[in-house]
Amino acid sequence: MNVILANLLIGISFGFILFLLGTGLSLTMGLMRVVNLAHGALYMFGAYVGLTAARYSGNFAIGILAGGLSAGLLGLIMETGFLRRMYKQEMSQVLLTIGFVYILTNVTQWIWGPIPQSGVIPEFLSGSVPIGNITIPIFRLTIIAFGLIAAAVLWLFQEKTRIGAIIRAGMDNREMTMGLGINLKVVFTGVFALGAFIAGFCGLIGAPSLGINLGVGWDALLLAMIVVIVGGTGSIQGALVGGLVIGLVDAYGKAFFPEFAYFTMYLVLIIILLFRPSGLMGRAMQ
Amino acid sequence: MNKANIAGYAGTSWRDWLFAYAPYIGIGIILLIIPAFISTYFQSLLTKVLIFAIFAMSLDLILGYTGLLSLGHAAYLGVAGYTAGLLIARLGLTSFWIVAPAAIVMAGIAAAIIGYISLRVSGVYFLLVTLAFGQLLSVVAVKWRAVTGGTDGLVGIIYPDFGIPGLTLTDTNYYYLVFIAFAVCFFLLYRLINSPFGKALVGIRENESRMKCLGYNTWAHKYIAFIVSGLFAGVAGVLFAPFYGIMVPGHLGLMTSSSVMLMVVIGGAGTLFGPVIGAIVVLLLEHFASIYTPERWPLILGVVFVICVLFIRGGFGFHLSKFWSRLRIRYGNAES
Repeated sequence: MNVILANLLIGISFGFILFLLGTGLSLTMGLMRVVNLAHGALYMFGAYVGLTAARYSGNFAIGILAGGLSAGLLGLIMETGFLRRMYKQEMSQVLLTIGFVYILTNVTQWIWGPIPQSGVIPEFLSGSVPIGNITIPIFRLTIIAFGLIAAAVLWLFQEKTRIGAIIRAGMDNREMTMGLGINLKVVFTGVFALGAFIAGFCGLIGAPSLGINLGVGWDALLLAMIVVIVGGTGSIQGALVGGLVIGLVDAYGKAFFPEFAYFTMYLVLIIILLFRPSGLMGRAMQ
Repeated sequence: MNKANIAGYAGTSWRDWLFAYAPYIGIGIILLIIPAFISTYFQSLLTKVLIFAIFAMSLDLILGYTGLLSLGHAAYLGVAGYTAGLLIARLGLTSFWIVAPAAIVMAGIAAAIIGYISLRVSGVYFLLVTLAFGQLLSVVAVKWRAVTGGTDGLVGIIYPDFGIPGLTLTDTNYYYLVFIAFAVCFFLLYRLINSPFGKALVGIRENESRMKCLGYNTWAHKYIAFIVSGLFAGVAGVLFAPFYGIMVPGHLGLMTSSSVMLMVVIGGAGTLFGPVIGAIVVLLLEHFASIYTPERWPLILGVVFVICVLFIRGGFGFHLSKFWSRLRIRYGNAES
């Protein structure tokens, strides 16, 4: 019973990290049909910048924000300088974003060195609280609370604001949206930068689960991809459902089949692809 | 334009014939005699180029001709390489006639399974799914230490044995083996691409719904192309494992998959010799960069990726083939 409860919390908190990771990718894929393979690298870069900022300022929140802003800025440069010229050319986009992964990873190594960073969790979050007869790390509870707030904000943004309506319209019918006099170019730039911002923002938050090292970019990308495929692209709900499903599957997988822990999420991926290729909450594909 | 020309064969004039086949014959002769003139060091670089050329051509069949964006192609190279490695290093079965078919068939089986699942989605989703499966296999290679040797790699993969008395594989002989395999693969892929099946694949790339309306079973075409492509990647894998002497999980993963994709795109997707040129360019770049700045090689590679997509649209192969056909029209009385 305790195992089930404890893993439920671990799974949900990991699920919210996955949700944050997946949303950015899902937004850019749904609206722009751009697959940003540098999403994980932006996450990694955000984590490094965030950690450094948090160390210098002594404030964890500033660190998280700095990570988000730095990645968002990089996203802005990527979109306006490069990606904008190659919409609808998937192969070019893929190579371009992979190129950015190599560049970002190597620059990160240049600045911070090849050794993984440690000392990620700040003091005031490192304790744990007993609930009933299990103890829960405060950090996990904070992530859950934080994830809920982020999900609510993003959902309100997408469903209740004008910009959100434009984004949804752009996903459903690009030509019609442009025909209504909306400058989708600007919206694309904004959405891409927002996706990058969320990735970088997530960097420090996900650090206790994923670590901060040079390989984490690929790990994060892979997790984000699985979340997007399982949940379906183009909606906050999809990323949330996908993230929670994968988070829970991973937590219980690790608890009950530690040998095959890594593969349980692939099992979910395969089942989804075989029986519901558009994802659990997906819009119809293409 | 008659049928023979459509199929890519030369017309009746000897000049046409010369212009159609001169590049192949010329390159073939150069590759055949070059080991006599270069150091063993460059000979091994050339062997590597030819192995990757086979690999890149196999990817081009689905990427360039069928329009399937696969970013997990290293999986089939890796499966064949690991199979060959396991047979040679672990089981001591060094006969080429057992190792090669077994490894190629394993690569085909892997492609059949992964293709069946990933062809349920298309476009960039296909890319994500193939990428995920490539990474899955590389994690299997990391975790299944007992069989694969984990991150230390599968070591001790020696050259296979041909069972012909008096013939032992030296480095030079291995170069010729790779050269023959390359020539055979090139010929087979050339025939495949110029066959009705190959033309149907191009049709699917250009307009899948129209091909469906014409009565083609496009799913089956894509699936078969995917498996065939996996088989050819398997050929590259069989040659790859003894050449390196070691298989590591990275060979299955994204680094290999993305650099072979770069080869195809640099050289020109949708041409058969484009990937060969791409393999030469990327491996030479890698070679010189890793001599001068091994630390910054990924940075240079990244910049190469960006420059390529910005400036070399269509790839070197595309421009070269345009140049060649201009020569053909001017001097060779070719119709097209």
